Amino acid sequence: MDSQINRRNFFKGSALLAGSAGLLVGANGTAYASGEPIPIGQAAPLTDFAAADGVEFRNGLLLACEEINALGGVLGRPLEPYFEDTKQMGDATNVQAVQRLIDRYGVHAVINGYNLGSGSAVQDVIADAGIIYMHNDTSRGHGVLVESDPQRYFGSFQTDPSETWYGTGLLKFLKSVEDDRSFSRPNNKMAIILSAGTYASNIANTVRDGAADFGWEISLYETVNVPTSEWGPTLAKIRQDPPAVIVVTHYFPADLAQFMVQFMNNPTPSLVYMQYGPSVKSFRDIAGQAANGVLFSTVIGALQDEMGLEFERRYKERFGANAGHNSGMQSYNGAWIWAIAAALAGGSGEPGNDDQNRKVADRIRSLIFRGVGGATRFVPGIQEAYAYPGGVDDPSLGMPHQFLQIQDYTGEPDLIAPWPYGKAAFKLPPWMNG
Amino acid sequence: MDVSLQILASGLTLGAMYAISTAGLALVFGAMKMLNMSHGAILALGGYLSYFALTGLGLPAPVGITFAVLVCAAVGVVIYHIVARPMLQSDNFETRIFIATIGVGVILESIILEAFGPQPKPQPVSVPGSLMWGGVYLPYQNLMILGVAVLIMAALGFALQKTRIGRAIRATAQNRDAAQLMGVRIGGVYALVLAISGGLAAVSGITISSLSSLLPNMGADPMLKAFIICVVAGLGSVPGSVIAALFIGVFEAVVQYIFGVRFSFALLLILVILVLIWRPHGVFGRVQGVRL
Repeated sequence: MDSQINRRNFFKGSALLAGSAGLLVGANGTAYASGEPIPIGQAAPLTDFAAADGVEFRNGLLLACEEINALGGVLGRPLEPYFEDTKQMGDATNVQAVQRLIDRYGVHAVINGYNLGSGSAVQDVIADAGIIYMHNDTSRGHGVLVESDPQRYFGSFQTDPSETWYGTGLLKFLKSVEDDRSFSRPNNKMAIILSAGTYASNIANTVRDGAADFGWEISLYETVNVPTSEWGPTLAKIRQDPPAVIVVTHYFPADLAQFMVQFMNNPTPSLVYMQYGPSVKSFRDIAGQAANGVLFSTVIGALQDEMGLEFERRYKERFGANAGHNSGMQSYNGAWIWAIAAALAGGSGEPGNDDQNRKVADRIRSLIFRGVGGATRFVPGIQEAYAYPGGVDDPSLGMPHQFLQIQDYTGEPDLIAPWPYGKAAFKLPPWMNG
Repeated sequence: MDVSLQILASGLTLGAMYAISTAGLALVFGAMKMLNMSHGAILALGGYLSYFALTGLGLPAPVGITFAVLVCAAVGVVIYHIVARPMLQSDNFETRIFIATIGVGVILESIILEAFGPQPKPQPVSVPGSLMWGGVYLPYQNLMILGVAVLIMAALGFALQKTRIGRAIRATAQNRDAAQLMGVRIGGVYALVLAISGGLAAVSGITISSLSSLLPNMGADPMLKAFIICVVAGLGSVPGSVIAALFIGVFEAVVQYIFGVRFSFALLLILVILVLIWRPHGVFGRVQGVRL
């Protein structure tokens, strides 16, 4: 692997040094990454519909490996990443991809972004090999599986909170903007639009199930096909019975952009909250001005603070101005957590070396890692990241559920919540006279 | 009334998009008994070539669209010479070409992925704005797609029925050997059919991406719908496939409104099963003889 970063440059330029990188440097001492390489793997959707994210997951891991190697790797052993394509990310494909990483390259850890599917299939391959698995499937299924047999699934970690936090987080966010009088609901109706699939369904179901507690009634619960570019029939229903809030948990950027373009032909006085898609630059490129005012949130993404912005700079410098650092940070974050834990544990273990990898897993469980997306700390028993402010009320102990709004489609979205990370105030969308 | 018009407009837009992507597929099957599984990838290529011509080369839209159509037509000719022609005389041509064109599609999609990257891109060929009619907003883009579909289908129908080359295509479709004995250059006809299909795929890719976005795999869904429409209409029937495309577009929109979007594809497949029980060769298909 071409290392583009040396130790001196990294020390000079990285705001990380004070935190996570410092831990690694402390463990590595004066070691330089000149020993036998440690193979690590990633199974990502490098082709097919999620390739835009898959390429960023690869980039995130590449950047992390370069930076970690510049600091001496893991106890003097450089990291050597290998990649397998998960295409449409069905469970069978994901499992086969991870199995190949283990069989062909003998990877000590698999460090992914997300793969769709059940979110609880790859863990068995990992458990059989006795290695470490860091992923961002953002799935409640992960925690349920790990909790069912913690000894077997000792090495599987979800480095972000599960998708259900989106639902509860949204309802609390809406209450907060009502409480501070920046939004006043014209009625109690909420329309939910989702796509088939565990992820979108779980979020939609959580919103639906919790809505009544916040005084909302669900006026439309519509499941759409993937992909969907013609929104006429769905918009006709919305326009017949305009809700105060439209919640779209379908996540394809292009489909969501078309929703906004067609919605803006004859908008209803409704807040529009979307899931994931608006975080991708192409959403703004395709929707153009129709993107202005859209709200969205993510439970994992780079913050707009000193560390996050510095990461964005390094990432775009390495992979180009249009590179998606918010996707890339997922595997970047996971790689750093694993590398620090492995260094603190005295090294990582190859497949079959459960004993050493259990030590690595112990260190991961005890870490509080402040990365570019906030704090990662794992919930005991289920080994997924704590959510802030839903799961913990201390921002230094949980990963922030970030709410963003596109206020000017020509620039980056504005981070509006939670405290203390928010950088801008919520604004009523332009179609609501904002 | 407003809602009915809105549903009709949505359905016709869907149907028009389906019609353009289906016509090329039906034409090739009608003439050659060749199910071109790379049609979806050629469709995506057309969309990307238009994007490249307009944003990369800075060409005006009509020139960029023409460029995309010509290149995709050339791809069709290349597929004939490199893939289809060597198999034409072989046993089980229909099965072999089916598999081979899946491979062509994978290659084309990979080329697009390498050349343009995986991020969705906006199609620059678009007509902004909308028309208010009968209480319904009709985007100019949708009207343009409908207009383009009508024009293309009319031109294709005219070419097949009234021109010398159209007669040659129909003669070849009826009986290849007899057409050859009458002096029709079969190879030229097949190459032309694939070129026309490639050009139609390009137009289809541009129109579809103008309502969604450019993605390397964007052809997969239209290809699936086109195949379903071909089966409903009767494989190889071009006019039948256009009628079926418009019907299915409106059917989908109505089902989406009345029952919910999630039921539209399932009910569409049930409709296909019923049609095939009722008419195994499709609504407009024939057991033997003339197609096109």
